[in-house]
Amino acid sequence: MKNWAGKLLLSCLMCAIGIAAVLTGIVYFNYMSEQINQDSTVHLEEIYGQVNRSFGAFVEENWGLLDSWGENISMMQEDDSVPAYISEKKETWGFSDFYFLSSEMDCMTPDGAQSSIVMDSDWDRLLTERQPVMAGERLPDGKDVTVFAVPVAHREYQGFGYDAIAVSYTNADLAASLDVTAFSGKSRCFVIHEDGSVLLSTQNGGNVFDNYLTYLDAASDLEEEQFSQMKRDWHEGTSGLIRCHFQSVSYCILYQPLGYQDYIMLCIVPQSAVSAGFLSVQKTTANVLLVVFLAVGISALALFLIRSSSQSRRSRLELQYRERMFDVLSGSVDDIFIMLGDAYRSVDYVSPNIERLLGIPVEEARRDIRVMEKCAVGDNVLIPKEELDAIPLHGSSVHEYEYMHQHTGERRWYRMTVYHMQIQEMTKYIIVLSDRTQERQMNQKLQEALTAARSANEAKSNFLSNMSHDIRTPMNAIVGFSVLLEKDADKPDKVREYTRKITASSHHLLSLINDVLDMSKIESGKTSLNVEPFCLPELLEELHIILLPQAKAKHQDLRIHVQGAPPEQLVGDKLRLNQILLNLLSNAIKYTPEDGHIDFLISELSQKTPQYARLRFVVKDDGIGISEEFQKHIFSPFSREINSVTNKIQGTGLGMAITKNLVDLMGGIIRVESEPGKGSTFTVEMSFLLAEQDDTEQWFRQKIHRVLVADDEKDICTDIQRLLGEAGVEVVYETDGAAAVETAVHAHETGADFDVILLDWKMPGLDGVQTARSIREQIKRHVPILVLTSHDWSDIEDEARRAGINAFLSKPFFASSFWLTLKPMFEAEETAAPESPEENIMQGKLFLVAEDNELNAEILTEMLHIEGAECEVAVNGQEAVERFLHAEPGHFDMILMDVQMPVMNGYDATRQIRSSSHPEARTIPIAAMTANTFAEDVRNAIDAGMDGHLAKPIDMAAVRELTAKLLRRQGAETPAQDNKGGSP
Amino acid sequence: MKGKLIWLLSAVTAASCLTACVPSSETNGITLTLMGKKSDLNKSYMTSIFEQYETETGNKLNIIAYEDAEFESAAMEQMETKNAPDILLHFHNADLAQFDVENRFVALNDQSWTADLTDSARAYCTDKDGDLLGLPFWESSVSGCYYNKTILDDLGLRPATAQAEFDVLCEALSETGYTPICWPANGCSWMMQFGLDPLFADDPARLEQLNSGAINYADIPEVTGMVQWVSDAASKGWFGQNYLMTGWDDISPALASGDAVMTFIWDTWFYTDFEKDGTYTIDDFALMPVFLNTVDSGTYEGGNLNMMMVTKSSKHPKEALDFLAFCATPEHYNAAFAGVSTMSCFRGQTTNIQSKMVTDASASIAANERVSTASSQIIGYSAEDVAESFNEMFRGNITVAECVAEMDAKRHAAS
Repeated sequence: MKNWAGKLLLSCLMCAIGIAAVLTGIVYFNYMSEQINQDSTVHLEEIYGQVNRSFGAFVEENWGLLDSWGENISMMQEDDSVPAYISEKKETWGFSDFYFLSSEMDCMTPDGAQSSIVMDSDWDRLLTERQPVMAGERLPDGKDVTVFAVPVAHREYQGFGYDAIAVSYTNADLAASLDVTAFSGKSRCFVIHEDGSVLLSTQNGGNVFDNYLTYLDAASDLEEEQFSQMKRDWHEGTSGLIRCHFQSVSYCILYQPLGYQDYIMLCIVPQSAVSAGFLSVQKTTANVLLVVFLAVGISALALFLIRSSSQSRRSRLELQYRERMFDVLSGSVDDIFIMLGDAYRSVDYVSPNIERLLGIPVEEARRDIRVMEKCAVGDNVLIPKEELDAIPLHGSSVHEYEYMHQHTGERRWYRMTVYHMQIQEMTKYIIVLSDRTQERQMNQKLQEALTAARSANEAKSNFLSNMSHDIRTPMNAIVGFSVLLEKDADKPDKVREYTRKITASSHHLLSLINDVLDMSKIESGKTSLNVEPFCLPELLEELHIILLPQAKAKHQDLRIHVQGAPPEQLVGDKLRLNQILLNLLSNAIKYTPEDGHIDFLISELSQKTPQYARLRFVVKDDGIGISEEFQKHIFSPFSREINSVTNKIQGTGLGMAITKNLVDLMGGIIRVESEPGKGSTFTVEMSFLLAEQDDTEQWFRQKIHRVLVADDEKDICTDIQRLLGEAGVEVVYETDGAAAVETAVHAHETGADFDVILLDWKMPGLDGVQTARSIREQIKRHVPILVLTSHDWSDIEDEARRAGINAFLSKPFFASSFWLTLKPMFEAEETAAPESPEENIMQGKLFLVAEDNELNAEILTEMLHIEGAECEVAVNGQEAVERFLHAEPGHFDMILMDVQMPVMNGYDATRQIRSSSHPEARTIPIAAMTANTFAEDVRNAIDAGMDGHLAKPIDMAAVRELTAKLLRRQGAETPAQDNKGGSP
Repeated sequence: MKGKLIWLLSAVTAASCLTACVPSSETNGITLTLMGKKSDLNKSYMTSIFEQYETETGNKLNIIAYEDAEFESAAMEQMETKNAPDILLHFHNADLAQFDVENRFVALNDQSWTADLTDSARAYCTDKDGDLLGLPFWESSVSGCYYNKTILDDLGLRPATAQAEFDVLCEALSETGYTPICWPANGCSWMMQFGLDPLFADDPARLEQLNSGAINYADIPEVTGMVQWVSDAASKGWFGQNYLMTGWDDISPALASGDAVMTFIWDTWFYTDFEKDGTYTIDDFALMPVFLNTVDSGTYEGGNLNMMMVTKSSKHPKEALDFLAFCATPEHYNAAFAGVSTMSCFRGQTTNIQSKMVTDASASIAANERVSTASSQIIGYSAEDVAESFNEMFRGNITVAECVAEMDAKRHAAS
């Protein structure tokens, strides 16, 4: 503002100086012009005064000469001498003719020729007044002459009486003497009479003016008063100078009386010629002043321009510097700055980072900012012009648009803030585009998290609600039936019924609690894996055993398929894998209607690392399916699809969440494909470390060389042929029972008996049992016959054994299962003391039970008693240790150790037992009893020196199985010791 | 094609005339063949003299009239045949040279009527060898500088007698706001020949040199002086502002209104083309010489005269010469020219009308008149070509020297 005011002041000052200089110049030049006019007038008067005097002297001289010549002629004795005399004078003085004039106005030349001179009224002056005269004449030949005449005494010449003599000069000659060259030949000089008639003119030697007064009157712009004054002057014989114009050309008219007769010398000179010299000075002065003024002006202007240029350059550099700095700064940030001139018509600035952030070349954007519309993801990315115009001055407007990078296609959100400003009285719009993608993403995540939290909270609320209901239901049943049990204790049928329902409710309640605990464990991140070698076929068989009754109950077809030859001995958490697969298969059975189909497919995927095997487990059903929406949440905890079917099925909504988390924990993946009404397919893929091969296979290679297989499915036959063939076993297969019998008989007859016969249960024609029976009937040699089935064989087990079938194998066929099934038979054969399958391992055994809960201890005591066993109860770990230490070797067969007990927990008690000096400190089987059934609990138990693990509430079947396992092992390790139970 | 048709029609006409004029067996008269331009032959004084001749002599005249455009070529062709006319009516100009004048026409120096010819008329009809080629029988006028004496008187001015005075006069007139000279540059081309006439009329040797190619216009300082003067006069405004657009029809209004004071033209123009209803009338005009800076005292151009020439191949040479003598008889020519405005060709010519302008300037005319020489004697001279070169100069497209050179070039090209 200050700078602008300074410039205005400077401009005003310069204008004032300029105006003053111009006014001074005008005044000066007016003054100079006036002076020049005055001086030039004086100059003109002086020049023509001198011409006048010269002409006057010429006239006087001629008159004087004529007087002299007249005297001389009069004194000549002979007239003949006169012509020579005149001729001499003519040559000397240059006149054209000499005349003798008579009083009768006749004239004669010296050669005696008569001539004619008019002279009009001048005759009187000459002859009467006896005054010399000057007169103009036009000769007969057209020449204009001027005659000078003087009166002389009357004389005669050649008989001609004369009273005056005269000479004539051609006007051309006279004019030459009057010509004035002072005015560049532009002057006219006339000798005129008072009436304006022209005696002679100097103009180019010619005269076309008869009367100059007439010409002046017609041609000039003389005012009447001027004209009258001039004529008065002429009449009065006074000099004068007037100015007039001929056709806009200014002239000076100077008139001076010649002083004789009425002659006037009239000079007409162009004013420009009069003042030429002075004007030249004036012009030179003006030029000098102009040059000086221009020089000063140019210098001032140059100085001004240099200063302005310097300031402008500085400003420009500063602007460039600022712009550059702004470019650099804006280049390092993710905000785009745009300045628009007037709406979208002009773009003043666009920060260069627009190319980096949006992929738009900055030059292109600076040409037309609307190029940004290329980046539009939605309808628009620029504020519409109407809205732009609507922003009040000094106001702003905020918008958010999504832009797509022109090169990368990346989409980002920008907040557009538009400021309406007035800069140097010009409307400007400053647009700032700020990248708000992260903020938006964060907000979105927060929103999602909030939604998830709300959902989780809601789910948990629902869960608690559900759990409250789910827990209360079995609890109500247990409580209710317990009351009824007490009431109907004397009614055995009622007691058994109530007891069965209480047991079922208890199991259901236990399952709920286990799931909750599992989920709790998983969510708290405390879940760990118990990695150890396991046998895949064994796992599959267990699954088959568990699930087959459930499927059978719903008349479902549960099939297990093994594709290829997946490795059988793996290292991993068998329990968790079992849990995963069991969940999937249980759900499949649960959500598949009766008569449905469930396929369980196991296959090996390619694996680059040779130490690992990657397996794919696919559980496929044709059940109710899962909606697409629920598929997105199926692995979320506490989620259950709500529909008319699922509402009738019990569940916590934790099963799939636990499954998913376990799969993740084991480094696998799980996915689901489903279509409501058509079924679901769950696929689990995970890798396992391959376990070292035991020597079972090698052992059997020595025992078994030929195997006969009979199955109506040829693929199964060829699979078995391939699998056993890898172990060097010859496999002969038939696809029906009769052929198998025939083959077996033929082999027997040819002395090439098969070492093992493997029969499918359900075959067209002879089934497996019938085939076995036929073989036994025809071949007396004992050949192990196994039945391969995917069905529950419990219903036919007795008949099968009676038909001579030694064992059952679950489909699919695994070589390891095959060996393991056969091994006891061969061992029995070797020992010749086969164990009765009816043996009760629990019978007569004495257990040391460490259980602080009196109720649990009582239940366990009763249950062991039912099994034919006895127990001593210790209320804590310390007591258990003391009881064991004080007991004789062989007193206790096994210790059942609760883990969480007062005084001393189960782990510490076990460690003390194992570290004690009791002879059985190392060998006494110790099984943990915990409500926790997680892998770490098992591992902790084993780490403490325990041999097995039983989950609470105690399942006697599990107790029986574990006891048999541990005692058998103990027996193997300590053969010398006899067991108290023995065989029945 | 058109020319041939006209020629054919003319021939048919002539044949008809011939048939009509062929003397009948009842008379003893002969028939003379006279050839000329149709427009010339139709002049009243021509038809009058033809009628007088036939009436008084009983002879007949076979008049062969050609359209103007066809005349030269047709006449030349006819002259080559045995049917050449007895008498040819032709101007003494450059076109006549192609007729091989010396060998084809009878010299008339010894004819009795020659003494009755005015000097200018005789001079016009005499060739460079001094032979009188024909009997001048034509209306003629004096070309000079016709000026408005009334205006000059009102301005206190008088006519110029010398080039310097003419310059002063022009300047004085210009100072008073008049256009000194009406110079019809648009389509009019006669002005320049007035300035050139004295250069060659006064010096026949120079004319011969020019025609022989020994010299060019550029070698004659007066020619350059004339061109320069005209250029200067135009620059000074002495021709007015619109002289390049001023044509034939503009001359009369300019003079009659007094806008222009002088023009270079001929006296009969005032009787044929000058407006009668203007501010100024014929009586306001007077004549002074043309000043074009070639001669100090100025010049007049005498009239261009048609002359009747007797062919040497004439079938009736005596009768042809008698016909000329018949025409040169005062009784006959006065009857023919009675009331015709023209300069006199014969000293005894009394019935014609001579303009006062010419009469008043007779002394000056006598002193400064020249026979029309440039247009008639300079081989290849074309008034139009010269005017075109001048106009190019007026437009500033060429300089004075280039104008002179162009005049030479065009002359050479046409010769």
